[in-house]
Amino acid sequence: MKMKRIFAVLLASALMGSVFVGCGDDTSNGGGDTTNSGGGDTTQTAEIEDGATLKLWGPNAALATLKKQAKAFEDAHKDKNVSVEVVQMEENDAGTQVLNDPEAAADVFGFASDQLTKLTMAKAIMPLYKDYEDKVVKEHSKSAVDTVRGDFEGSEVVYAFPETDNGYYLVYDKKVVSDEDAKSLEGVLEACKKAGRKFIMDAGNGYYSCMFAFTGGLKLDGVEGEAQDTQKFNEYDEKKVSASMKAFGELIKKYKGTFSKAAVANISAGFGENPRQVGAGIDGTWDTSVNQKALGDDFGVAKLPTINIDGTDTDIVGMIGYKYIGVNNNTKYPEAAMALADYLADKDCQQERLNDLGWTPTHTGVEVKDNPGITAMQEEGKTFVVQANIIQAFWDPMGNLGNQITKDKADLSDASMSKLLKDTLNNING
Amino acid sequence: MIKSYKTRRQIANGIIYAILAIMGVIWVSPLVWMLLHSFRAEGGSSVHYLLPKEYTFDNYIKLFTETGVINFPRWFLNTLIVAIFSCIISTLSVLMVSYAFSRLRFKARRPLINIGMVIGMFPGFMTMIAIYYLLKAMGLTQTLPALVICYSSGAAIGFQISKGFFDTIPRALDEAATIDGATRNQIFWQIILPMSKPIVVYTVLTAFIGPWTDFILVKIIMGDKIANYTVAIGLQTMASQTYIGTYYTQFLAGATIVAIPISLLFLKMQNYYVEGVTAGGVKG
Amino acid sequence: MKYIDYVQLSPLEKFTHKLSSFFTNLPKHIGNFFSAIGRFFVRLGKGIVNGFSNYGTRFSKGDGATKLSYLVMGSSNIVRGQYIKGGIMLLLEVLYFLFLFTFGFKYLGKFGTLGDTPTQSNMDPVTHRMQRVPGDNSMLILLYGVLTIVVTIVFFVFYIINTKSAYHVQKLSESGHHIPSFQEEMKQFGDEKFHITLLSIPVLLISIFTLLPLVFMICIAFTNYRPPNLAPNNLFTWVGLDTFREVFENKQGANMGSTFLALTEWTIVWAFFATFINYFAGMVVALMINKKGIKYKALWRTLFVITVAVPQFVTLLIMNQMLQLDTGAINILIESMGGQQVNFIGDDPLTAKITVIVVNLWVGIPYTILITSGILMNIPEDLYESARIDGASPARTFFSITLPYMIFVTTPYLITTFINNINNFNVIYLLTNGGPTATEYYQAGHTDLLVTWLFKLTMSTQDYNYAAAIGILVFIVCASLSLITFNVTKSAKDEEAFS
Repeated sequence: MKMKRIFAVLLASALMGSVFVGCGDDTSNGGGDTTNSGGGDTTQTAEIEDGATLKLWGPNAALATLKKQAKAFEDAHKDKNVSVEVVQMEENDAGTQVLNDPEAAADVFGFASDQLTKLTMAKAIMPLYKDYEDKVVKEHSKSAVDTVRGDFEGSEVVYAFPETDNGYYLVYDKKVVSDEDAKSLEGVLEACKKAGRKFIMDAGNGYYSCMFAFTGGLKLDGVEGEAQDTQKFNEYDEKKVSASMKAFGELIKKYKGTFSKAAVANISAGFGENPRQVGAGIDGTWDTSVNQKALGDDFGVAKLPTINIDGTDTDIVGMIGYKYIGVNNNTKYPEAAMALADYLADKDCQQERLNDLGWTPTHTGVEVKDNPGITAMQEEGKTFVVQANIIQAFWDPMGNLGNQITKDKADLSDASMSKLLKDTLNNING
Repeated sequence: MIKSYKTRRQIANGIIYAILAIMGVIWVSPLVWMLLHSFRAEGGSSVHYLLPKEYTFDNYIKLFTETGVINFPRWFLNTLIVAIFSCIISTLSVLMVSYAFSRLRFKARRPLINIGMVIGMFPGFMTMIAIYYLLKAMGLTQTLPALVICYSSGAAIGFQISKGFFDTIPRALDEAATIDGATRNQIFWQIILPMSKPIVVYTVLTAFIGPWTDFILVKIIMGDKIANYTVAIGLQTMASQTYIGTYYTQFLAGATIVAIPISLLFLKMQNYYVEGVTAGGVKG
Repeated sequence: MKYIDYVQLSPLEKFTHKLSSFFTNLPKHIGNFFSAIGRFFVRLGKGIVNGFSNYGTRFSKGDGATKLSYLVMGSSNIVRGQYIKGGIMLLLEVLYFLFLFTFGFKYLGKFGTLGDTPTQSNMDPVTHRMQRVPGDNSMLILLYGVLTIVVTIVFFVFYIINTKSAYHVQKLSESGHHIPSFQEEMKQFGDEKFHITLLSIPVLLISIFTLLPLVFMICIAFTNYRPPNLAPNNLFTWVGLDTFREVFENKQGANMGSTFLALTEWTIVWAFFATFINYFAGMVVALMINKKGIKYKALWRTLFVITVAVPQFVTLLIMNQMLQLDTGAINILIESMGGQQVNFIGDDPLTAKITVIVVNLWVGIPYTILITSGILMNIPEDLYESARIDGASPARTFFSITLPYMIFVTTPYLITTFINNINNFNVIYLLTNGGPTATEYYQAGHTDLLVTWLFKLTMSTQDYNYAAAIGILVFIVCASLSLITFNVTKSAKDEEAFS
């Protein structure tokens, strides 16, 4: 029994000690810790830091590919003894995690474009060096670059390296939905209903449900440039937007039992079941390979179909975003981190990710061979609202809009639709 | 008259049996469902029917062999280690504090008890950011000792129940021992503790189970260090949207594996648990 | 009622009398409670004044060595032969000042502003290369500032102990008493001072890992620590009560105020139902199981208790899966019986609220059975006896005897359960994660409790100051609830003395 007490005393003193030691450490390096190494006085590409150890965050789905690419980067900089550790972090969480503790976060991280505003406001992301910026502007698609343009204390900068398109399209089982059916939402739903299959859409998620309003012409102000600006919706035709919301609501009500509001993971799962439970769904590009695996030859993909609003077939307009590779402003090795991000965003790596994962490239030099998914994305890219300037406040209200329209006892009257629209935009615009 | 009273009682009992049976089914069926589907052979995702068509051990085998993404065995081991250490430390500190508050008299006693109760009333999640940075200053973030510290350092705040239990032990015992020349130290270890088996078991049990069920602090402390996760956060990850599509049955298998030892432990110790908590906490 | 009248009552009447006096005296008790708070502060003030005057008296009566102890800790003890004790005190003083000068002052000095030089990221206009000059980190200034203050308070306690001990040994040596050796003093820690042995380590741990973070977070509530003022790249500062005002305010769009009110209302409704329905239903089931003539008691008990045994987060995650649309077991069951699928947790707010309360029944009833069975068996038989003589029906007996008795006996348990339910994070977070979504709330859904909202504000929007303010408000609710009821039950219990 005495031993236990002695042990407890020792433990406590050790703890106490570590408090002071820990704090002491901090004082010793707190003052002199400048992370700069590039210096402001040279215009050439500076050298990568010797022995730089970098942490790279990537999503679980891409982990294997990223590890391969990180290894290649290490090999290319053998003389500098660079090491890269690839750690799993989903792109949706990356921005938040960087903000929670920038010092513990990865040096280089993949993130989705909606988190950009948060990151720039907190100065947590490092703008691209000019030489990299010039290269990115020259070699990547314009809309991908425009989305991350911004202003850093007066100078125009690009905040991150474009990695891939981030969007969604219609996926369907060709046995159930014909290519002709896939042209209109009515056709898709009817075909699914006939076959007794489900149509899955994550209508409670603002990322998808924004299409209810966007199809009616709702648009972000000032899409181009100024990544720090908060997004606002000011110019729209209330009648048109409400009509579009109503059209979706009524169609969904009509196909109650067929239309299913569920997370996208359920789409590939439903395709994979025996017998198949799902006929079609709106799914993200990142799920292309799993859906292909589940459906085999029956795998069909198309841009989002049309919907009939007050007698006219209207193209559905959704949201298209990008995934970027960012460099942490608190990194100890900015040169190496920039170089790694640049390497990952470059042509070869994008090509490899296209082949391995089906990720749409943003680099204009990447060769895309007959890929229906990418064609669909390119089609959508022409009309879709670009997910720039979206801040956190967008998602919950927009998701709620989807929920309100698709719920069982939804009130789809014109008055209720315009009220819902106004409330939602109020919440977003703040 | 007597007969009708008897039949009435029988009818009443019959109704009670029926209610208990129905409720019993409702209460147990989710667990049975979990158990059955953890053995389901078809597909990794959720299904549209109630009972599995084929059964297999694969989900369990995969859980312990395919450790590339979901490293369940490692997480299980982590949790076990953390649970053992934090159980020892928290049990000792809870018992020590509650004994001092219950049976020793000193000037600071009342104020300390009040401070303890006040602290206990703040929502625990409030402090997680501060704890994170404290641990970071000590260089402990993303390590298992950090978890042990988190789970056990504040445990003594929950002294009320064991204090209540100690309060029920007659003070005459202490007085008799003091007359016999025993020090308070000896009284605590050699007389009171051996008499307090229910509350010791209760404290050990709650302290041991704690680390198996927390998924908030672990996430904050471990961040991207997935290798140091515990089973709770692991299971929650498996049930999240990114993974549930492929890990559904494995998630159920993992849940079963966590549930079985803890349930057995609890069922075996439940009498002590009840005795401890009712004597100490319920009646006040 | 006089004592003589009281003892002549039947047990049932005695009991009802006690119960009614409990409630009629409620306002008085509440009044007492507030005057008790007042008295506490008066006592505290008196204690502080006394402490200082004693401190002065000791100094004026002390000899040279004792007076020196006021500056150099432990000198009186060392002079009088207590080398180890004195040495430890001296060491403490040296360590403390070392800590203060190398570490504490640096942060304490900026505590008033939380830093004035922001981290500078100077970008070269041509190359866009960054020159980072780390500035102040408001978060660390606050955290370490609080740490320094806590350490200082602890040191002050030791300092006072030192002055007392200095004067004490002086008196001992003056009166020619034996001055205890270090070993003799250590022995005391196993006996007269055993409470110090028992408490020091837990108190130390609590101070560092619970109290310090708590003080820090309380401070955060008075700053503007939220985007864009996030450390380490930006500074934040004190804003007084602004945060609280914003929490109650209804700015256009971000409806903090109405969200706060709506969630508070739901939190209390939830806590009420989750506590009392579980309690009553659990008790009824326990009575059924324990009824005379019911067989297989152990089997019935085990059926329920097994759900307590399985860790709660496991059952909740499972429940969440079972409640899903389409693939959830419950909906499949409904469909196979010819019903319509129900979107339990994602559609209608009321359905979702009822669902969480019902699922919580499933979670909570077995626990009540576990806790109450023993006490139910111990209800004095004479209470029932007189009821039976009066010809009361079973239901009436339950409501007029069992229930009041149980509530009376288990009030502390009910209060703790109620407070735990106010802070019941797991059920909501795992079951609905706050959903269904709400048009009119800021960062919250219809079933969010204040704690889950607090968690979301911390983790997804980094509104640390709002989260801290809400934490404080939750504390105020819980604290006043429990202090009042504890006080009331205490005086109610005291009345038992005359039965």
